[in-house]
Amino acid sequence: MADEEDEVETVFIMATVKINGKEITVEDGTLILDAARQAGFEIPTFCYQARLSGLGSCRMCLVEIAGQKKLQPSCVTPVLHGMDVFTENETVKSARASMLEFLLANHPLDCPTCDKGGECELQNFVFKSGPRQSGFSEWKRRFHDKDKILSPVIVKNHNRCIHCERCVRICDEVVGAKALGGIGRGVMIQSTGFMDDRLDCDHCGNCIEVCPVGSFMSLPYRYKARPWDLKEVDTVCPYCATGCQITIGIRNGEVVRVKSRINTGINKETLCARGRFGYHFIQSRDRITKPMVKKDGKLAECSWDEALSVIKQMFGSGRRTAGIASARYTNEELFVFQKLVREVFKTNNIDLDSRFANKWVTSAMIDACSLAAGGIPIFDALKADLIFIIGSAVSDENPVTDYLIRTAASDRRKTLIIAHPRRMKLDSSSAISLRYKPGTEGEVIKGIADFIENGGESTSDINAAAARFKNASNITMFLGAEILRLANGVDVLTGIAALKALLKRSGKNIKCLPLFDRCNQRGARAMGIHPLFLPGLKKVKEDGMDCGEMLDAAKKGEIDSLYVLGEDIVSMHPDARFAREALSNIKFKVVQDTFLTETAKIADVILPGASYAEKDGTFTNQEGRVQRLRKVISPVGDSKDDLDILCSIGGFAYKSAREVFEKIKKEVAGYKDISFEELDGNGAIVTGHGRQSLSLKGTVPLLSGSDNSGQQSIKEDKEYPFLLITGNHLFHSGRLSQRADILMQLLPEPFVEISEDDARESGIVDGEKVVVKGNGYEAAMKLRIAKGSQKGVAFVPENFDSVSVNMFYKKGEGIPRVKIVKLP
Amino acid sequence: MLSDKSKEEIKRVLNKYPNKRSAAMDALRIAQNETGCLSGDVMQEVAGILGMPAPQVNEVAAFYTMYNKKPVGKYHIQVCTNVSCSLLGAEHIVEFLSRKLGIKKGETTPDKKVTLSVVECLGSCGTAPMMQINDDYYEDLTDEKIEEILSKLP
Repeated sequence: MADEEDEVETVFIMATVKINGKEITVEDGTLILDAARQAGFEIPTFCYQARLSGLGSCRMCLVEIAGQKKLQPSCVTPVLHGMDVFTENETVKSARASMLEFLLANHPLDCPTCDKGGECELQNFVFKSGPRQSGFSEWKRRFHDKDKILSPVIVKNHNRCIHCERCVRICDEVVGAKALGGIGRGVMIQSTGFMDDRLDCDHCGNCIEVCPVGSFMSLPYRYKARPWDLKEVDTVCPYCATGCQITIGIRNGEVVRVKSRINTGINKETLCARGRFGYHFIQSRDRITKPMVKKDGKLAECSWDEALSVIKQMFGSGRRTAGIASARYTNEELFVFQKLVREVFKTNNIDLDSRFANKWVTSAMIDACSLAAGGIPIFDALKADLIFIIGSAVSDENPVTDYLIRTAASDRRKTLIIAHPRRMKLDSSSAISLRYKPGTEGEVIKGIADFIENGGESTSDINAAAARFKNASNITMFLGAEILRLANGVDVLTGIAALKALLKRSGKNIKCLPLFDRCNQRGARAMGIHPLFLPGLKKVKEDGMDCGEMLDAAKKGEIDSLYVLGEDIVSMHPDARFAREALSNIKFKVVQDTFLTETAKIADVILPGASYAEKDGTFTNQEGRVQRLRKVISPVGDSKDDLDILCSIGGFAYKSAREVFEKIKKEVAGYKDISFEELDGNGAIVTGHGRQSLSLKGTVPLLSGSDNSGQQSIKEDKEYPFLLITGNHLFHSGRLSQRADILMQLLPEPFVEISEDDARESGIVDGEKVVVKGNGYEAAMKLRIAKGSQKGVAFVPENFDSVSVNMFYKKGEGIPRVKIVKLP
Repeated sequence: MLSDKSKEEIKRVLNKYPNKRSAAMDALRIAQNETGCLSGDVMQEVAGILGMPAPQVNEVAAFYTMYNKKPVGKYHIQVCTNVSCSLLGAEHIVEFLSRKLGIKKGETTPDKKVTLSVVECLGSCGTAPMMQINDDYYEDLTDEKIEEILSKLP
């Protein structure tokens, strides 16, 4: 495993207890509930959830302990050595039935009209161990007749609530939104938002997921299906690289919901708004379903045969050609794509993603995170006593990673340090949140390293953070994809490598994980989607061009044909005008995608591919965990599985993703021990690719032209006072999520976010309409104020066609400058 | 918006507590003294001052009967109906007041003079049944006593 030294062995004190007469030895301090489960006895629970704080309110888990008069709640009572516990005797069973009777005293039993019917925990437990009759004849509590719509995704029925408070705790402790509370008292408590009003929260729907009854319900799924009508398939979320396991439910061929399963995947039972509600793009009306060929300057539908034969003609050998792929495709598709580009088109001009600076910075990232050295399970990484995040607004970019870090950081022995210009939700869990001007990441890193080496007064935040580094023995760093956008990204990453080396010299264990914003960014690199690396991160003999170089060459007329797999270069490349101009110089462009993107609109051939729900394969998440994607529905209309398309163009004989995976195992060392068939909810962590470092040192040109200080010259500019950063919003990811109706309801249009100080100075209030201007482009949008963000920094989400944020960029410039003016 | 005076007072009481959260009840009391009842806006403002999530301030306010969630009249009659008072006729007292004032529990007279509320134990079991009007206790209640008290309300 990468960078891992021998960890200190922890010695546990053990306790031996008897559960229903069966002896079991467990770690001292284990809850009776867990000990019983280990011994094979299931105890019913409502309020208990392993990842939440203990509450002990539902009393379902009462057990009898020999020598104690009263029954004890096993979910909050730890074992004691020699304890004799009974979980299934008559006393316990009768108590359980009585507790259910109490719950039913107020539960409406409107199961026939309740969405939860059929998968309701209360229903199941009553069926199993409940009373068949009730002694209560009083009126049931009734808050309202009609269910309350709390948000575009959450609908609430207070009458059904059984007060387990899972929703309140998950919102508070795991999600960190703290949007829910138990409002009221006694039996009249309502678990709801502020003033029981519309929720302005993360809309992640985790309250819906954890609700054991039908109190919190999903509005999009409402009355759509009964659980037993659904066909459910486990697969992987297609948005960020956290790699959440999701379960897609379809009814009559229609995708009706996405949920998570308890104890499955690293996300366990949580998802974010994108993962849970961002599925409507799959069966969107806007999907392209027929191949198209440009005839007389216009795109016209055609047959697959025609489209493929045109492509085969145009990509003949001897032509100067290139390929760009999106990181949303499976390992298998990307592997075949690079085979197509390298073996059939005979070029190393292949790159992933059109957003990032260049091949050197992406290589430096591969190096800094030791991606070649194998994966690091995130839970191992989170065991560190210091967690440091830089270059990612993780709460927006990787929401479920944010949950995992929050849960880990709730341990007071751990320190969380976040370095980012923008305020984020996770700041509430951090010991220190370092703010800096974008582009000066290198200074932050250098400041930390300087203090560790030379000491000093720990007066500044950076020094205070460095002091924490000094005191820690196990350190995990998370490096965000934002670093890849910087003009001086290589310098920053070199600085990080130096800091790692410094910390290692002082005897600390360092782990370094990337935070990627596309589901298969890590897998794509391992599959050889890089101008410098073959599959398995083996160096190519002859360097290819990266996306920026391809466009440069195209501008000069040195590229004849380009194959684009799912990437929207026109919308995403940081200099929209240049990208469009360069692409228009390429005589023949093929775009394989699911939607008519801006890039597809200027293509010569469009091939309709499949969405993630329509294919088999694997994704490798940011940890290096390979997970199975499973086909849920057939490709819509005349669209085809992307693997089939690539194979028929390249003339490859692979029949299935599994066959390609077998080939990958042979070529990519890190994948050799993974069995495609046996990939379950936990996936499998890749091993090393056979080398620790890519040793690119000496070959990487320092792009900023400066020395190694990692400082980008940021000049003051009175006319354009704001440094612009762009990225994903919590509800959106790339340009794909704007095709998902529900996500568009949650955030229909872009906004510009600035710090409170800047807003005060310019006299603009929250929600006011402003115009953002820069680089000859301007766009009107609403202003949002972020208390605690870095002054002089503006953020605009990059997810909307209505505002092309990449128009603000000049080629090669990592951080553009803009000004913000009030609408007259 | 709370007045500067109330905000100052909240800042002053913060010193009494180990952290800001602990001052929630005191801060809500100060806010209510000024505004009469705790509307959403007031709770939001208190939450802002204390750096607490608004729903958690809402939880505190909703739990205690001493916090008014709706505007109350000039005189707020709170009748204890907890165990001791109930055993000694609190239900009758509520009913008697209700008849006298022409309003149900939880309601305010149309002239906004009197609000009748039913609350939990006010810690005066030794002198049950009892009620509280604004900040004063009226104890060992009988119908006659209540009539007298009501007639004396200015």
